[in-house]
Amino acid sequence: MKKYNTMKSITAFTLAFLWIIVAGCSDFLEKPLQGKLTQESFPVTASDALLATNGVYNIMRTNAFHQGLFPILDIMSDDARKGSNPDDGAADVGPYDRFRHIPTEGNVSRWWSTLYEGVKRANVVIEKVPLISMDATLKARYIGEAKFLRALFYFDMVRAWGGVPLVTTTTPSTTLTRASVQEVYELIRADLLSAIESLPEKSEYAPGDLGRASKGAAKSLLGKVYLFQGDTQNAEKYLMEVISSTQYSLMPNFADANSEAGVHGAESIFEIGALPYEQIENGGNQYANVQGVRGTPNRGWGFNRPSLDLQRSFEPGDPRLEATVIFLGEVIDDIAIVGDGQTPDETKDAQGNLIEIECYNQKVWTKGTNVPTQFAHNRRLIRYADVLLMAAEVLNKNNKPVQALEYLNDVRERARAGNPAALPDIVTTDKTALDEIIFNERRHELAMEGHRFWDLVRTNRAATVLGPLGFIAGKHELLPIPQIEVDLTQKRIAQNPNWDQ
Amino acid sequence: MRRVFTYLMFTLLPAMVMAQVRTVTGKVTSSEDGLPLPGVSVVVQGTNKGTATDAEGQYSLELAPSETTLIFSFVGYKTQEVAVGERTTIDLVLETDSQMLEEVVVIGYGTVRKSDLTGAVSSVRGEDLTKIPAASPMQALQGKVSGVQITTNTGAPGAGPIVRVRGVGTFNNADPIFVVDGVILSDINYLNAADIQSVEVLKDASATAIYGSRGANGVVLITTKRGTPGKEGMSVNVSAEYSIQQLQKKIDLLNGREFAIIANELRPGSYNNVDAVPNTDWQDQVFQSAPIQNYQVSVTGSTQKMEYYLGLGYFNQEGIIPKSNYERVTLRFNNTYRLGDAVRVGSNLSFTPFKQQNTHINAAFNAYRAQPTIAPRQPDGSYSPVPGVGNPLADIEYTNNFDNVIRSVSNVFGEVDILKGLTLRTSFGVDVEYKKNRSYTPQFFVNAQQENSTSDLTKLFEDRANWLWENTISYNKQLGKSRISAVAGYTMQESTTEKMEVVGENILRDDEDLWYINPDNINGGRVKNEVLLDNYFSMMSYLFRANYTFDDRYLFTATFRRDGSSKFISKNRYANFPSLAIGWNVINEGFMQDVGKLSNFKVRASWGIVGNEKTKYDRQYSGVLNGVGAVFGQNETLYPGSTYGESGNQNLRWEQTQQIDAGVELGFFDDRLNIELDYFHKTTEDILIDLPVPGYLGNGVGKTITYNAAEVLNRGFEYNVSWESEWNGFRYRIGTVGTTIHNEVLNVFGSKDPNDKLFNANSTTATSVGRPIGSFYGYVVDGIFQNQAELDAYPHRSDAGVGDLRFKDVNPDNALTSDDRTYIGSPIPTFLYGLNLEAGFKSFNLSFDFQGQSGNKIYNEKETVRVEMYNFEQHVANRWRGEGTSQTEPKASIGGYNFLPSTRFVQDGSYFRLRNVTLSYKLPAGLLTKMKMNAASVYVRGTNLFTITDFTGYSPEVGFPLDRNQSGVSSLNTGIDAGTYPVSAIYSLGLNLTF
Repeated sequence: MKKYNTMKSITAFTLAFLWIIVAGCSDFLEKPLQGKLTQESFPVTASDALLATNGVYNIMRTNAFHQGLFPILDIMSDDARKGSNPDDGAADVGPYDRFRHIPTEGNVSRWWSTLYEGVKRANVVIEKVPLISMDATLKARYIGEAKFLRALFYFDMVRAWGGVPLVTTTTPSTTLTRASVQEVYELIRADLLSAIESLPEKSEYAPGDLGRASKGAAKSLLGKVYLFQGDTQNAEKYLMEVISSTQYSLMPNFADANSEAGVHGAESIFEIGALPYEQIENGGNQYANVQGVRGTPNRGWGFNRPSLDLQRSFEPGDPRLEATVIFLGEVIDDIAIVGDGQTPDETKDAQGNLIEIECYNQKVWTKGTNVPTQFAHNRRLIRYADVLLMAAEVLNKNNKPVQALEYLNDVRERARAGNPAALPDIVTTDKTALDEIIFNERRHELAMEGHRFWDLVRTNRAATVLGPLGFIAGKHELLPIPQIEVDLTQKRIAQNPNWDQ
Repeated sequence: MRRVFTYLMFTLLPAMVMAQVRTVTGKVTSSEDGLPLPGVSVVVQGTNKGTATDAEGQYSLELAPSETTLIFSFVGYKTQEVAVGERTTIDLVLETDSQMLEEVVVIGYGTVRKSDLTGAVSSVRGEDLTKIPAASPMQALQGKVSGVQITTNTGAPGAGPIVRVRGVGTFNNADPIFVVDGVILSDINYLNAADIQSVEVLKDASATAIYGSRGANGVVLITTKRGTPGKEGMSVNVSAEYSIQQLQKKIDLLNGREFAIIANELRPGSYNNVDAVPNTDWQDQVFQSAPIQNYQVSVTGSTQKMEYYLGLGYFNQEGIIPKSNYERVTLRFNNTYRLGDAVRVGSNLSFTPFKQQNTHINAAFNAYRAQPTIAPRQPDGSYSPVPGVGNPLADIEYTNNFDNVIRSVSNVFGEVDILKGLTLRTSFGVDVEYKKNRSYTPQFFVNAQQENSTSDLTKLFEDRANWLWENTISYNKQLGKSRISAVAGYTMQESTTEKMEVVGENILRDDEDLWYINPDNINGGRVKNEVLLDNYFSMMSYLFRANYTFDDRYLFTATFRRDGSSKFISKNRYANFPSLAIGWNVINEGFMQDVGKLSNFKVRASWGIVGNEKTKYDRQYSGVLNGVGAVFGQNETLYPGSTYGESGNQNLRWEQTQQIDAGVELGFFDDRLNIELDYFHKTTEDILIDLPVPGYLGNGVGKTITYNAAEVLNRGFEYNVSWESEWNGFRYRIGTVGTTIHNEVLNVFGSKDPNDKLFNANSTTATSVGRPIGSFYGYVVDGIFQNQAELDAYPHRSDAGVGDLRFKDVNPDNALTSDDRTYIGSPIPTFLYGLNLEAGFKSFNLSFDFQGQSGNKIYNEKETVRVEMYNFEQHVANRWRGEGTSQTEPKASIGGYNFLPSTRFVQDGSYFRLRNVTLSYKLPAGLLTKMKMNAASVYVRGTNLFTITDFTGYSPEVGFPLDRNQSGVSSLNTGIDAGTYPVSAIYSLGLNLTF
């Protein structure tokens, strides 16, 4: 009996061993990726192509897309101070106010990495969508959208850091070095020219697709790119094409150029759609929350505070001051602005001079009393007033002052909101004087929208205007390459001039 | 012929003297614990007549007049011969056999006589594990085992320590594997220390190679309790312990007035009257003293047919930070049944439900940083806003995070002896866990950066099922002077997991009863369902080991394992792990017989290759990222989007460690003095590491890619010396263990160029050839710029000013650039040691366990993370305030230049700690008998009572920073104090009863 039991056990073991050998031959050790596709199998269908294209736009709602989270471009300019409570961000955001920022600071590295993440997503569309068999027009449009966005990202990069590594494939070499500024602009130009070919005009998009890159957006951006390169002829060409396309006009009310009422409105050339949720995955965008009213109502952190210098620079009676700055005690959309109890209402220097007041950026205001609503602000990246002022600038430079005055005065006329006493039409045709006037008009029309610092740099005004704030010519025109990028590439990505000292 | 005659003589003799029989009775107890010893063989000398003691240690034997001597013998005890004389009662205390040469050591897939062991294996008895009041049994190993570093990284209730065997061999996950009753696990926090019979730490390749791909970081084998075969009877053990934990030390920070003075320097006018500011000690506000309770009852026993163990434990630890605690019930049932002579079946079943509440992750860090000039609450009772970090008390109040976990690690096994010495064994084990996490944040407002505008409820459900089937055949045979034992087998393992995370918003009330997700509150954008990346794999292995011993003198071991893992693509999937070892019991040589004082002398050496496959299953894949939608349209709508996610690395392959070990074991004076010395030399190539990669690859902020990136060497000596003796009833034992470690990177991506560096995510550590892994990297402080002339005279960064730190121009190019950063300290200790002292007199026993390390540095990162105006450590009070006022402490600043990574924040990590002191008292035997008990003891114990160290943080036991800032748990981030939950000092009172 015992022997029988033993025999049975041996049989069982033997069978078990055999089973394992059989199992060993099967794909027991194959564990495919769960819950998501691998990159080899995406995008391969028409609907994949749309998903991949939407994924590129998504990067613009991630918080680090906006200069690393904090609006350091305006803070570096003479238009804004760090803001918030004096302590908050004192050591990381604060230094940008006085050009004391350093290559290890987090905003620059987050911004760098995020823009390249956007480039990678654009490259997915540009590289993979051509291989998909689908409607040719739609295919061309998706690729055009991706090229527009890639150009947009590189344009930020070339202005922020100069020549950067050019990544144009989803499988870049790991030993890339910095391309020249010229090479980056070449890519931007080629992408935008291609986008102009394949993108529809804004009016050709279905209402549900508003917010996608359009022919007008690509031309506006290309015009701006030429402006930054000093090519006023080409800048004029593309900016005039935008104007003559009759796709755009100024919103009657200046505030609506950035408000909810102007979302995808006549003035909007390219903006980032967002929904009132604190999470990116739900459609929110933290850009406006970082700058939102701090305290009561509780809308945000209150960074990027309009400077007294900006406030005092507006022409007397310019209604845009009120529409640009939220002052304490103001009532907007029936909501009283009380502000933050921990933040001094006024800050004075040692001599007792007023140097700062608690106030907020009204360009990012959205109606509401809580935080999530602030996440719904659609940041305008390109709007028609900018195109008009750029056109005025290049037309004046190209010796067409009369035409320049027309567009300049369009902007001023809208701004004066029917008040004949304010903002009289400009009549001078003196090239230098007009250039200065147009430049100042840009400051007031586009204040707190991230233009000022780069405008100062591109027109060589930065050293003069920002010198008192700590700007050093030959250094601060560019941001430092993030130290971690220099380190991780063993200096193949070299630091910008005068930053490593 | 003569033998036959003798035989006849002895068998006939009893019959001849039958008339004069007498009966001898008695009780046999153990010298070790005074407990009765069942199953002791009592034989009449010169006969095969005898008996065995019963469950109470009693025996009774009839003797003929000629039978004058009894021989008492039992495994693990010295055999004693006793002359009967005229006595009819002979009670005997059996001495434990201190030589223990026949002691059996558990090794993977079998056991081996200690004298036959060729590998480096350290054993710890279960009772040593219960000496530290902690949820994890591993904490008690600290300072007890040479070659093993245990770091209690965080004092959070229920948290397990970090275990490192023989240095840091990998960048990735250098944890050893745990094998509990044959089930391979990555953590053992479910285990109740009281259920453990023994722990063996396998250190060299000869010992670990049988675990092949998972042996590279050492193997911790744990055997849980069951009755001893042949030792029939039952005993019941009850123990109870109550402890109080307190913050071991506070960090010396500025008080309100000191802070206000500095704030006024940095921002004039901040405080009108520094003598009238509040003075809040946030550490006093946040930390509390908290109890630990630990109770268990167990039944151990053995019958002719079975051995068993039943254990029930309850452990409850409150945290020294409010709203953190850990409560665990452990149930265990181990048993073996004998079905006839040749078949055994059994199981080890454990069931562990536990609950854990997690407080705010930065509670301790924020208490360290919060400005002391702010009263915790405003006059109206609401929390005061604290700039930058938020109010730590509000953090704690609004954090409600609970884990409810049920875990079972169990196996069933069957063994059949198909021939004498040939045994088939199969074991099927499971490790299943079901975890539910609830995290609720109410709607609240302290200030703009500390608020929650809508209440949030996050629920996380995780299940994990891991099965392991092992089939082995083993053969043991003694052929003349040769002893052979061999085992071969194969094993399969699969681990599957899934998690579901859902988020609800606007929960109607804060009441816990409403913490459920329903269609009205679910946040659809935040539902996540995926596998747990660490626990999704399958593995198949073939293993073989042979031990050969000749004449108890010459020992050979050969081991081979072949592993296949799903974590690598097919061409890299399988790897082979061989090892060889030899040993020589010199003591058993003829020429050693006259060396009187020497009782043990063995030399051994081993070589082998072991692996490491600890990487997440998906690191080989480049996946597609979902949920990246875009908002379009006049009626704004979120449209779905997908794109390429992080890049994977298809070329991942096994990390392989080649290890050489040479050891010598010496025993003197009947092994009262024991010395064990080992040298080890480990080189690990193709180490797996998650590396930060250049941003232009587009992986996104803080993302990493896994690479087989480098080769690293660990070598050193280990010693273990113990002396025990007795003097006039005074017993004492002195033991010491120590390990030296030399850690050095041999190449980085195949390059020997020391300029090729691997950085962590914020370049505070760099790893390059010739240096220890993860060396701190930064500037060297060379004084303070006292005046403008000095500033002008020295190369300096453009952001340096008078009163700031003067950094050394390390590469003498007369310019201070990022190239002047250099290696400013190693996080890896060069020497680890423990000292254990024990003394007893009569019923009292006093023991001290000391433990320490030296040669390592700690980077005080918590002091450098300054984006806002935080409180300062006390040394800032002695800051530079004008020429000549300080040569070491720069002028005060909120952040920036003076807080760049530099030697300013590198501190000596050496320490010497009284880990444990215990005074116990055993109740005398007379009292025990009255109380019908076999043993009873009470004790008082102090844990972590004092630490000698120069380190200014809570505890010099610094492992990894928490996974804050996505810095990740990696060897690139060792020894960085980022402000974790501090380890406490513990005072305990306990009781232990055996029936």
